[in-house]
Amino acid sequence: MSNLTEIEPFGEGFVEAMGPELILFAGMLLLIIVPNLGQGTFRIPGTQLRLPWLLGGQRFEFTSDPRLPAWLATFTLGGAFFNVLYTFSQGLDRVAIVSESGKQLLLVNGFSRIFELIFFGALALAAFSSMNRLRVNGVGSKVSETELFNNRRQADFYILMVTCALGMSVVALAQDLFVLFIGLELASFSTYVLVAFLKESKVGVESGMKYFIVGSVASGVGLYGLSMLYLWAGSLQFDVLATAFATTSSTDMALPLIGIGFVLVGFGFKVSAAPFHFAAPDAYAGATSPVAGVLATASKAMGMIGLVRMLLIVAAPETGDGSAIWLVCLGVLAAVTMTWGNLAALGSDNPKRMLAYSSVAHAGYMLAALTAVGAWNWDAAVSGDAGAAAVAVLTAVIFHLLVLVAFKLGAFLVLSILESEGDVSRLSSLGGLAKREPLLAVSMFIFMISLAGVPPMAGFLSKLLVIMGIVRVAVGDMGAELADGGIYALGDMHWVWWLALLMVLNSAISMFYYLRVGVVMFFDEPEEGREGPLPAGWQVRAAIFACVLTTLIIGVAGDAVLRLCEMAAQSLNYDW
Amino acid sequence: MAGADVTTTIQSEWLDFAPLIILLPMVSFAVILFLGRVFNGHPVWKNNLKEGGLIALPVMGASLVLSLLLISEFLGGFNPLKVFDPEVADKIAWVNSAVWNGGSTVTPVSFGFGIYVDHVTVMLLFVAAFLCLLINTFSIGYMNTDPINDNRNHRFYAEFVLFCSGMLGMVLSDSFLWLFIFWEIMGLCSYLLIGFYYERPSAASAAKKAFLTTRIGDVFLMIGLVMLWDLFGSLDYAVVFDTHNIEEVAKHSAGTLQWALGLMFIGAVGKSAQFPLHVWLPDAMEGPTPVSALIHAATMVNAGLYLVARMFPFFGAEALHGDLEDLAFIIAAVGGITAVMAAAIAFVQMDLKKVLAYSTMSQLAYIFTGLGCAMYLANTLDWHHDDDAHYIVVVAFGAALFHLFNHAMAKGMLFMASGSVIHEVHHAHHHLHHHDDHGDGHHDGHHDDDFDAQSMENMGGLASKMPITATAMLVGSASIMGLPLIGGFWSKEGIIANAWRVAQDDPRFFLPATCVLIGAAMTGFYMSRMWFKTFAGKPNNEVAAHVGPTNTWIKTPLFILTFVTLSSVIFAGLGFTHWASDNSYELGEKGLLKGLVYELEHAFANSDAFFFILTYVAIFLGAIVGPGLAMALYGGKLADGEETKPWMRPVIQLSAWVNKRFHFDNSAFAESSLATALENRLYIDEYYDKAMVNIVAGFSNKAAEADSEVIDGTIKAIESGSQSLSSIVRSMTTGSARDYILMVAVGTLAIFMLIWGVA
Repeated sequence: MSNLTEIEPFGEGFVEAMGPELILFAGMLLLIIVPNLGQGTFRIPGTQLRLPWLLGGQRFEFTSDPRLPAWLATFTLGGAFFNVLYTFSQGLDRVAIVSESGKQLLLVNGFSRIFELIFFGALALAAFSSMNRLRVNGVGSKVSETELFNNRRQADFYILMVTCALGMSVVALAQDLFVLFIGLELASFSTYVLVAFLKESKVGVESGMKYFIVGSVASGVGLYGLSMLYLWAGSLQFDVLATAFATTSSTDMALPLIGIGFVLVGFGFKVSAAPFHFAAPDAYAGATSPVAGVLATASKAMGMIGLVRMLLIVAAPETGDGSAIWLVCLGVLAAVTMTWGNLAALGSDNPKRMLAYSSVAHAGYMLAALTAVGAWNWDAAVSGDAGAAAVAVLTAVIFHLLVLVAFKLGAFLVLSILESEGDVSRLSSLGGLAKREPLLAVSMFIFMISLAGVPPMAGFLSKLLVIMGIVRVAVGDMGAELADGGIYALGDMHWVWWLALLMVLNSAISMFYYLRVGVVMFFDEPEEGREGPLPAGWQVRAAIFACVLTTLIIGVAGDAVLRLCEMAAQSLNYDW
Repeated sequence: MAGADVTTTIQSEWLDFAPLIILLPMVSFAVILFLGRVFNGHPVWKNNLKEGGLIALPVMGASLVLSLLLISEFLGGFNPLKVFDPEVADKIAWVNSAVWNGGSTVTPVSFGFGIYVDHVTVMLLFVAAFLCLLINTFSIGYMNTDPINDNRNHRFYAEFVLFCSGMLGMVLSDSFLWLFIFWEIMGLCSYLLIGFYYERPSAASAAKKAFLTTRIGDVFLMIGLVMLWDLFGSLDYAVVFDTHNIEEVAKHSAGTLQWALGLMFIGAVGKSAQFPLHVWLPDAMEGPTPVSALIHAATMVNAGLYLVARMFPFFGAEALHGDLEDLAFIIAAVGGITAVMAAAIAFVQMDLKKVLAYSTMSQLAYIFTGLGCAMYLANTLDWHHDDDAHYIVVVAFGAALFHLFNHAMAKGMLFMASGSVIHEVHHAHHHLHHHDDHGDGHHDGHHDDDFDAQSMENMGGLASKMPITATAMLVGSASIMGLPLIGGFWSKEGIIANAWRVAQDDPRFFLPATCVLIGAAMTGFYMSRMWFKTFAGKPNNEVAAHVGPTNTWIKTPLFILTFVTLSSVIFAGLGFTHWASDNSYELGEKGLLKGLVYELEHAFANSDAFFFILTYVAIFLGAIVGPGLAMALYGGKLADGEETKPWMRPVIQLSAWVNKRFHFDNSAFAESSLATALENRLYIDEYYDKAMVNIVAGFSNKAAEADSEVIDGTIKAIESGSQSLSSIVRSMTTGSARDYILMVAVGTLAIFMLIWGVA
């Protein structure tokens, strides 16, 4: 437990607290300026004097290198990532950035830090492995490595990645719904452009447009919800909203409930919960694979933050029977989402769409976990069983989001290598990968079984924790009775355990399409025209390797990471 | 082990290296396999490295040296009991986990590997490391000279060293859990090695039989271990042998403990090939002869004995006084029955190696009887306080362990010698066959498959051709038979005497006691029969007449083991029997000569009239009746002009004289149904086959049907169902942004309805 320090913007300690964000900001400026450095001169008006001012003109050799922006972005994001790690190693301080009137705007604590890790890690890997991937002719073109976009076009891509990271970290830090919304939009707009970045490709533009339109609608609905909440409470501060929510009698709930419902739609789109997920598969299929990977990991984690803040802080559980007002609603959403995702993935022949649907299913699992948190009024019984169980569930959710970066993004990166020799819109494109690139095939297989939740992969641990957490919540106060040898019927458990059961059944279904990838890779022959090893830079391979290692190591020895996640979960409600 | 509670943690120089004894072979397993695959067929690999044999040899040598260093340090300095305490010293942590024991408390449990050394360990460690090295030497002479093994010997050596590492690990480990792990490693290796000639259906099925039969025992062993865990909360020797812990358990669950130990004993029955799980051992002769030597002498079968010997502290515990005597009887009875049954079957075997296989079963049964009797004594006598009783228990237990030692040495030698004979007979046949091909062609159709190089029908009179092998075989047989003063005599007499001692207390023990006494005569017969049929008389056919001497790789281990077996008398004089079972006894405490005199006096001039008579009865049966009958039936002079070494000459001449003087016609017996039954191994294998076919296979077929129709059917139905659901779900993804927004609207409405519905 650490003390809360309050700092005004640019006050003392601001730089330390906002280190990662400042690094991102500096990196963004560099990305704008450096690729434009050249031998440009400036003629002083009225004279013949030309002063070199370095912008424009004939560019220097290194500033015109198409890989320069990628390196800059990688170092920026990587720097921010390691800065967060460093603050972890230094022990955490809770720091709040307050406005002049004393309102908390941003709060740096374990929860926000761990999400920053997720965002920066995913984006840094994506930037690093996109280095040789942005081809002139877009997705599906067969071109040599030299024909990369020129670096001005490249710079746009990576600037967007950095702004995306910036937006996401604001979401993680926000203590005010409005600040959160600004961060969300900054990140969302960056991703809309990133998806449609390959404007020469019809698929890319179309999917980007669709993603943008549906996303805008969802944002609009969410914003409408915010305005209602503001109308009702007169503020969008989390603590003000929470207090207002706790003191309002249930008969006067109409306005906030409508508000919460609308906000739920906005975040539901971000985590691609059914039925708001429809644009996601299109977007994943149209975007370059690393970007799709970011959508499936970082962007989803961002949406989850919104949901956690909204549902657990603002609308904390407290209706008559102690469960949350949104409990049934979220439970249904979770059940529909996970089942829908898995069913759709089952028949999907496009590997990217399959991964997109699988990420819908994973969203469903996490929603199920959030539902479980709402089953008891755990805020009041912080030390009781219910409180501990809720922390366990939240830990599982955070842990799942964290490890998802390793294997979901990793799977997309493998696809991105395959993309370098043509379209990857059919599963058969993966055929015979084991013969062509055994290491890649094994990596992909590891990612797949981790997604499916097979021990000893990280995905198993996270899924196990989620299921265990839900059951623990469902058992609730009976845990103590059970320990004393008490007997109880299934009917005595809270109904959320049905979600855990559904999750197990869904995992069984999902096994089919994850393992099918393995079958295709190891037993099928390569498609015609796809023979021999794949062209690819070392960067993306290094990134994949890092993902494999993380998947395995966290799966076997994830204690430390798990403890971090637990701390983050506790910091949501305690003074950590 | 008498005071397992006296646990001292020692700082030792060589103990730190003890894990290397296991790790070196284990690592070289991978190395040999890898190099063998890469360099297969390469001349340097094949000729200079003997396809891995010369990598395995130094590794086993290093293991032996490290073992000897550990042993010598152990014997030199520290007493009474030395335990490498895993809690204090650096242990190799394997798995740390928490066990939920109800409520909110968890007990942290660690399965770290530790080293446990006491006298039993020391003895078996030496036996295993020493014999593995010798068998390795032998293998180079045996395996690498046979073209059938070319380019796959690396597989043999790799599996060989893994086998050795399994045995060494099992002996050194400090808990029943690790014992079980290494036990299973051995199980796997035995499967691989017995099935080394996997292209032969008989070898493949023998491997399966060995694996499955021992597996039956292992399942029980595992259940027993789980029960033991449940009782003690640990499988570490330090915990389960702790006097205080045993007292706690004895208060409530002595019966459960007996069941646990009984189930563990079934595991030992499987591994050591005792009735009724003995059926795999004779078939295991399908493996190459070095494997037989390895399984029968150095490693596998000793594992079961070791496991039972490890249970001794339970039987010896004061708190469990009298609670475990039924189990002790079962152990002794299983031993007694197997001893007679195996010996009887050995009477009619024509295959040289099969005789030895049954002799192994029979001798192991002796050891089990010895262990059972010792355990009965420990469990019923007040040996913690009464010095006389203490001596009786210790010597009874020690006699069984000493027999293990003697048997391992002798049997290792016998198998290697038989391998030497088979190898040379095979070569002689090959040689003849090859030359005659160009001649009159009457060998047409005589392929290697028709000729059985292991059958004693194709031997006879080999004493002159292979004198070293014949000598080794003679000494080994004498040791197994228990001829006075040689090898097994010292221990076998002890086992028989103790069986009768117990039988005086408890009439149930008359069964094993009678069995071991009769078994002595039977052993004398079948071992002599084997030797005379192979080495005495005239060559049975042309092949036997052309056998030549064997190579140095094979001779060396025979030579060494002959001396070890003969020097058993020295071990006896040093008080091995007492030392092996009493951790506070020092080897040679009494002085060699004094000890020897004491042992001789004890053996031949026992002050107790009953045991005095018993000794001479046993000697009479084992050394005169048995061999005499064999001589009368199978003895005979060598062919004219053949000479053998002077020490074998009187034996052969005696046999010729007995044969002439007392020869009788045994065809009545040979054609009797008993002989047929024995030849068919008492039909036990047939019963098992029938049971398998009728019960197990029937059940399996039904299960397979249920699997394909019910389970697969359900899964297929689910699969096709979800596929059609999938296409419905996917058809809603139209690709039109308008539809997507419509769905958002629908979802929003749904959310409101759900929230409203609740609130």
